Amino acid sequence: MKGRISLILMCVVFLLVSGTVYAQQKEVKLTFWTFVEKHADYMQLAVEEFNKANPDVKLVLEASAYPYEEMHDKLLMALTSGVGAPDLVDIEISKFGLFLRGDIQLHDLTDLVDEYRDQLIEARLQPYNYMGKQYGIDYHLGALVAYYNVDLFKAAGINVDDIVMWEDYIEAGKKITQPDKDIWMATVETSDLWTIHTLMEQRGGGGYNAAGEMILDCQENIEALQFMQDMVYKYNIARVAPGSYYHDPSYYAFVNEGHVASMMMPQWYMIRFTEFMPDLFGKIAIRPMPKTTPDGKRSGMGGGTGTAITKQIDPAKLEIAKQYLGFAKLTYEAHKRIWTDLGFDPFRKDVYDDPELMKPLPYFNNEPVMAVIKDLFAHNDIKPEALGPFYPEIRELLRETVCYRAIEKKEDPATILKEAADEIRALGK
Amino acid sequence: MKSQRLKRKIVPFVFLAPFLGMFIIFRVWPIISAFYLSFQEVKGIGTSKFVGITNYVALFGDRRFVSSFLTTSYYTIATLLTLIPIPLILAVLLFQRRTPGKEVFRTLIFLPSLTSLVVVGTVFRLILADTGGLVNAILGLFGIAPLRWLLLPELAVPSLAILALWRWTGMNIVYFSSGLTTIPPEIYEAAKIDGAQSLALFRYITLPLIKPIIVFVVTISIIGGYQVFVEPYILYPGGRTPGEAGLTVAVYLYRTAFRNFNMGYAAAIGVALAGIIFAVSLVQFQFSGFFKK
Repeated sequence: MKGRISLILMCVVFLLVSGTVYAQQKEVKLTFWTFVEKHADYMQLAVEEFNKANPDVKLVLEASAYPYEEMHDKLLMALTSGVGAPDLVDIEISKFGLFLRGDIQLHDLTDLVDEYRDQLIEARLQPYNYMGKQYGIDYHLGALVAYYNVDLFKAAGINVDDIVMWEDYIEAGKKITQPDKDIWMATVETSDLWTIHTLMEQRGGGGYNAAGEMILDCQENIEALQFMQDMVYKYNIARVAPGSYYHDPSYYAFVNEGHVASMMMPQWYMIRFTEFMPDLFGKIAIRPMPKTTPDGKRSGMGGGTGTAITKQIDPAKLEIAKQYLGFAKLTYEAHKRIWTDLGFDPFRKDVYDDPELMKPLPYFNNEPVMAVIKDLFAHNDIKPEALGPFYPEIRELLRETVCYRAIEKKEDPATILKEAADEIRALGK
Repeated sequence: MKSQRLKRKIVPFVFLAPFLGMFIIFRVWPIISAFYLSFQEVKGIGTSKFVGITNYVALFGDRRFVSSFLTTSYYTIATLLTLIPIPLILAVLLFQRRTPGKEVFRTLIFLPSLTSLVVVGTVFRLILADTGGLVNAILGLFGIAPLRWLLLPELAVPSLAILALWRWTGMNIVYFSSGLTTIPPEIYEAAKIDGAQSLALFRYITLPLIKPIIVFVVTISIIGGYQVFVEPYILYPGGRTPGEAGLTVAVYLYRTAFRNFNMGYAAAIGVALAGIIFAVSLVQFQFSGFFKK
C-alpha cells in the first residue's frame, strides 16, 4: 500500500515538474524554405544556438530544401494565392525583384536591421531594400575574387602575385594556354552570367547604377563584353566552359583535371572547389581580381540570397521569427559561423578581426582566404552591386542571349547590349 | 417503384461524383481561370487589370513566341519521325516468338519511363557533353569529330529529340504491343500458308490492323510534342538553350509567368498553345481518315 502511494506521489511530482518546465518553455514552430541544403543546415544550427541563448523559448524549425526553380515557383504561387507560404524563406537575388512587384507579401525588417546596421556592410543590404524598406537579409558578401591554379602558373614560370593588371593576366595567359593539351588560362560561360557579371561589375557597369538607372548598354559593359570576346578570339587564352557554365558537372571535372588556370567568381564558389574538385587540394590560390586601370577596383559583388519573413506567418510568431533571424544572420557570432560553418564571406565588418577568420586553409594553398577579402575592404575595392526593377529580366537576358551571341556568334558587343537594353526599356513602358 | 427508378438514375452519378468533383476543381476550373487570366495584365502580386485582347494582339508581334512555335513544331516533327517507326519496329520484334530475351529487353526499354527526371537531366548532360561525353566518344570510334551537342543551336532540337526518344520509346512500345495482341494469330497463319514473307505480313496485316493504335500514338505524340517542357528544362540549365534555339512554347510560357511574373500574357500563350494543338490534331485526324469512320 505504502509503495503504491509513493508511486502515485512520484507520478504527481513528475507531472507537476514537467508541467512547469513546459509552461516556462514556449514552443514555437517556424517553417523555412530554401534551395540550398547547406543553408537549411546552417539555419538549423542557429536554432540550437538560439534555444541555448533563450532558455524560455523552444524554437523548432521545419526546414525544407527544394530545387532552385521549383522553390521560387512554389513561393510565387503561394504568395499570389495567399495560402501555403512558409514563415521564413530564402529568395535568390535574381528572383528577389519579382517578389517586390505589386502588393509586397514580405515583412519589413528595417527595424531589425537597424539594430545591427552600424556593423553591417550597407552595400550588402541594398539588394533587398526597396523604397527604404528592408525585406531580406543575405548570407554573405559575395566578393568577386580570382581563383588561380598555382601548379599551372608554376609550370609556366609565373608567380600569381605578379598579376596586378589585366595586361599581366593576358601575358601570363599566353604563356599558360596550350590549346593542343586543352589547357586554358580562362573559360567563358555562354549559358550563365558569371563571366560577364564579374567583368561588368568590376568596371563599374552592371544592370543598374547607384542612381537606379538601367545601364545595360553603358560603355563599361560594352568593354567588358568586348574583353570576354577578346579572351577567346583575340588573345586565344580562353575557351567556352564545358557544359557552357561554371556549375555543370562536366565543367567541375574539367577544372579538376587541371585544364583551367584561372576563374573569376564570387567567394562562395570556394565550396564548389572543395566539394567537386578534390584533386586540386592545395593548388588553388585566391587573389583579388586584376585591375583594369591603376586606380580601378579589384572586386565587386556577385550573387546572394535574402532570407525574408512572409506575411503569411502567424502574427503571434512574427516577433520571435525576427529575433531568430537577427540571431541567425546579423550577430557577431552568426557571422563567424557564416564563415566557419557555411564557408561564406561575412558582411559584418568587425568579424574580420576575429582570429577564426584568419586561419589558413589547406585546400587553398594553405593561405587565410579571408585576409584577401579583408584587404579588399581596407582599400575600398569592392564595388557594390546596384539593383533595379527589371534586374530579374536583365539576368535572364545575360544568361540566355548576350554571352551566347558574343561568343558563339561573334556579334558586336555594342549591338548585342543595345538590343538587350532596348528590350528592358520596352518592359518599362 | 418510381423511387427505385430514380435511385437507379442517381446512383451512377453518386459514384462518379468524387471523380467529377476533382475533375471540375482541378481541370475545368483552372482552364476557365486561365482563359479569364489571359485577358488581364498581372505584373505583380495582387495587381490585375482587364486589358481585353491586348495580350493576344501582342502575341502576334512577339518574335519569341513565333520562334518558339517554330522550334516546337520542329521538335514535334522530329519526335514523330523517330517515336513512331522505332517503337513500332521494336514492338513487332519483341512480339515475335523467336526473339530471345524478350522479357529482359522489354524491361530495359521501359525503364527510362520510370527514371527520376533530375537524374536523367544530369546523366544526359554528361552523355552529351562536348568534352568527355559518351556520344562524342562513340562518334570518335567512327572518326567523327566531337560535336558540341549542348552548345550549338543547330543541335538543340536534335539533342532534345534524342532525350525524348530515350524517354518515350518504352511507353510507345507498350501501346503498340497492346495493339499487336488484338490481331488474331489465324490471320498470320492463313497468310503464311499462302506463302507470305515476314515483310509482307507486316505490310499487309500488322500495319492496317493496328492503324487505330498508330493514329492514337501520333495524336498523343503531337499533343506531347507541342507541350514539351520537361526535356529542355532538365537538359539545359533552367531550360536555357544556346541562343534560345530550344525555346519551346511551354518553356516560354513558364519563363513569362515565373521568371518575368507576367501571368496574364503567359495565360494568353497557354490559350494560344491549346488552340494550336487543337488545330494540328484536327488536321491530323482529317489526314488519317478518322472522320470518315
